[in-house]
Amino acid sequence: SLGFRRCLISVDMRHLERSFQEIKRTLQNKDVFQNVTILSTLQSLQGIKPIDVCCVTRNLLAFYMDKVLKDHQEPNPQIRRQISSIANSFLHTQKTLQQCEQRWCHCSQEATNATSIIQDNYDQLEVRAAAIKSLGELDIFLAWINKNHQETS
Amino acid sequence: DPGAVVPAPQNLSVHSANMKHLLVWSPVILPGETVHYWVEYQGEYESLYMSHVWIPSSWCSPTPGPECDVTDDITATVPYRLRVRATSGPRASAWSALKPPFNRNSTLLLPPRMAVRKDGSHLVIELEDLGPQFEFFVTFWRKAPGAKEHAKVVRSVGFPVYLGAMEPGAVYCVKARALVRAIARRSAFSQAQCVEVQGEALPL
Repeated sequence: SLGFRRCLISVDMRHLERSFQEIKRTLQNKDVFQNVTILSTLQSLQGIKPIDVCCVTRNLLAFYMDKVLKDHQEPNPQIRRQISSIANSFLHTQKTLQQCEQRWCHCSQEATNATSIIQDNYDQLEVRAAAIKSLGELDIFLAWINKNHQETS
Repeated sequence: DPGAVVPAPQNLSVHSANMKHLLVWSPVILPGETVHYWVEYQGEYESLYMSHVWIPSSWCSPTPGPECDVTDDITATVPYRLRVRATSGPRASAWSALKPPFNRNSTLLLPPRMAVRKDGSHLVIELEDLGPQFEFFVTFWRKAPGAKEHAKVVRSVGFPVYLGAMEPGAVYCVKARALVRAIARRSAFSQAQCVEVQGEALPL
């Protein structure tokens, strides 16, 4: 598990990645706009300051919880099971982030811009297509969490 | 009797130890009929945002017995609602829901079982494999007045872990506890186990 740089919250990253790997191909095959990306800005966030990591994490969790997961209707029970596992893990992480939000989750303009771009990318696509693409790009977000939330101990 | 109502399962409860979760209930008795049970679950996310969505349990949709291993379904540290119904042929009972919902952070964490031994002059421990979510906090010390206690976190198990070199004629003791980060909890320490090293104690 990983501790957020400022907010030591445990994320069962191994389980999240395994859940995603089981549904990745199916989700990405449903993505009709292969030449477009929503989470591309995450690659440009490599130089984000440690102080902004909590804020970007919180905003991206909210992006997935309040938009992507709500906009996606999954008929396949096997896929739904893995999405449920991811959603409930994100919910737990959100709740834990909220406990340390005041002290550490500062939002710089750079961090706010980064997540706004992702929001804008999402809004430019038809909602179901945007949701399926964002789910298919979850590995970008998980990799970003993995990289930016190395345990400090 | 084909027209009879199938009673709903009663007395639902979860027995959970070391992050293994077993949902159990009282069997539904219908003489002369074969009863099956169907288990479904809902994480807190579904309860909050998609309360109409229930997910069939990984292993118990259906199952013949009045129990269901829901370990593979309970994959986050949030409350999970579970429900069961009985069927006999085409007829189905009403759903029975577990109350209150189950959260895996209530699992009973037991002190880990371990084997302590000598390998030459080295102190060695082997810990039981409780699954990928478990780490172990191991402490070991030389049994002597004022001896310092050493500590080590063991993340992978199933093979011997070398704790350190021992001096001839000394007694060394080890104890361990289990840690589960996913629920931010740990077990009690196991009973200490000690081994004695043969040979003459070194002059001080």
